[in-house]
Amino acid sequence: MGTRVWSFHEPGVRPVSKKNRQRKYGSGEEAPTASSGTETTKFYWILGAVAVLGVGIVGYSVGAKALSPTVSEPIEMDGLDDPAELMQVARGVVKGDPAAPISIIEFADFQCPGCGGFATQVKPLLDAEFVDTGKAKFVYYDFPLVSMHVHAFLAARAGHCAEDQDKFWPYHDMLYRSQSRWSTVQNPAGFFEDYAEDLGLDEDEFSACLKSDRHADVVTANMQLGYQLQIQGTPTIMVTQGQGVGRRVTATLEGIREGIALLQSGG
Amino acid sequence: MVVAVLSLMGIFVALYLLAHSVGLIPLICGVGSCSTVQSSQWAKVGQVPVPLIGVAGYGSLLVLAILGIQPSWHDSRKIGLLMLGLTTVGVAYTAFLTYLEAAVIHAWCVWCVTSAALMTLIFLASLPEIGRVVQRR
Repeated sequence: MGTRVWSFHEPGVRPVSKKNRQRKYGSGEEAPTASSGTETTKFYWILGAVAVLGVGIVGYSVGAKALSPTVSEPIEMDGLDDPAELMQVARGVVKGDPAAPISIIEFADFQCPGCGGFATQVKPLLDAEFVDTGKAKFVYYDFPLVSMHVHAFLAARAGHCAEDQDKFWPYHDMLYRSQSRWSTVQNPAGFFEDYAEDLGLDEDEFSACLKSDRHADVVTANMQLGYQLQIQGTPTIMVTQGQGVGRRVTATLEGIREGIALLQSGG
Repeated sequence: MVVAVLSLMGIFVALYLLAHSVGLIPLICGVGSCSTVQSSQWAKVGQVPVPLIGVAGYGSLLVLAILGIQPSWHDSRKIGLLMLGLTTVGVAYTAFLTYLEAAVIHAWCVWCVTSAALMTLIFLASLPEIGRVVQRR
């Protein structure tokens, strides 16, 4: 019968004899010791910290969404299948002379990088050549790709909140210029409010508009109009003359020039 | 212990994806296109959202990892074998999902890639301990 050496490695755990200890852990292996108790405590602290952090992040995401009155996705609306009703709600934002014979129509998403490229590189040239000269007007329709771009609907609403204060176009330019900043944050509302402030809008009015459901009907209707026109991506550009049917063109200066030339030649 | 901490992180990543999958929250993606992946046909197995499988898988790994450091289970061969089986299946499944993102869906979901990376780390971190327990006897 071997010598019994008792070891207490954890509170509440039975002492282990030397023989059993060797059988259990092998001669060359370390058995749990008093220091492993300290390590275990440290481990539970780390595990607890990760748990608190995880619950905090997931809980905040769910709670913030549930408690916020801000509408950031399309709303349920009856009657949008009826073209007459749809056209009463859907509304583009016009730049230039409303009486201009040609309309350059864009369906766009503030969070779409391609739309950002179009807004910053092509649109200024279009403005100079067609809009500022009164040859055409530019009409902007919302088409937020909500399945891909989580902030696109809210950005579209923010644009209309700026429109309420006659600052849609400067706000439009600002959103596209700073797209890479607000697109990747958890909640871009703070950025949208900062941009409104930078452009000299009434902050309280803008903020009240953003934190509500205002203009959610227009954005939803504009999206529905896009679906009815079978628009599948952004930016989609069309040119029309008078009340004529829109002609889809490439979203480049050349493409739009060609489309307008064809309209004017009756092609 | 590392396995337990990584598994807990995996649970929260899967819970975040699950909250999106049931429509509770928008998904913040940063790079890639999470929504494309999450709205694809591969985001569910039958009626079960893949993130729910993730929560169950990481949850089981967490339980096994915590059991494995209890004195009474410290050298349990059963736990070692279960851990080996679960981590192997987990790595294989997340590798399959990553392949789908790259070759079939052609879009990346940064949270799915994070989950795959966590599962790989769990597998690697558990190998020495599994080897020690499984080889004994």
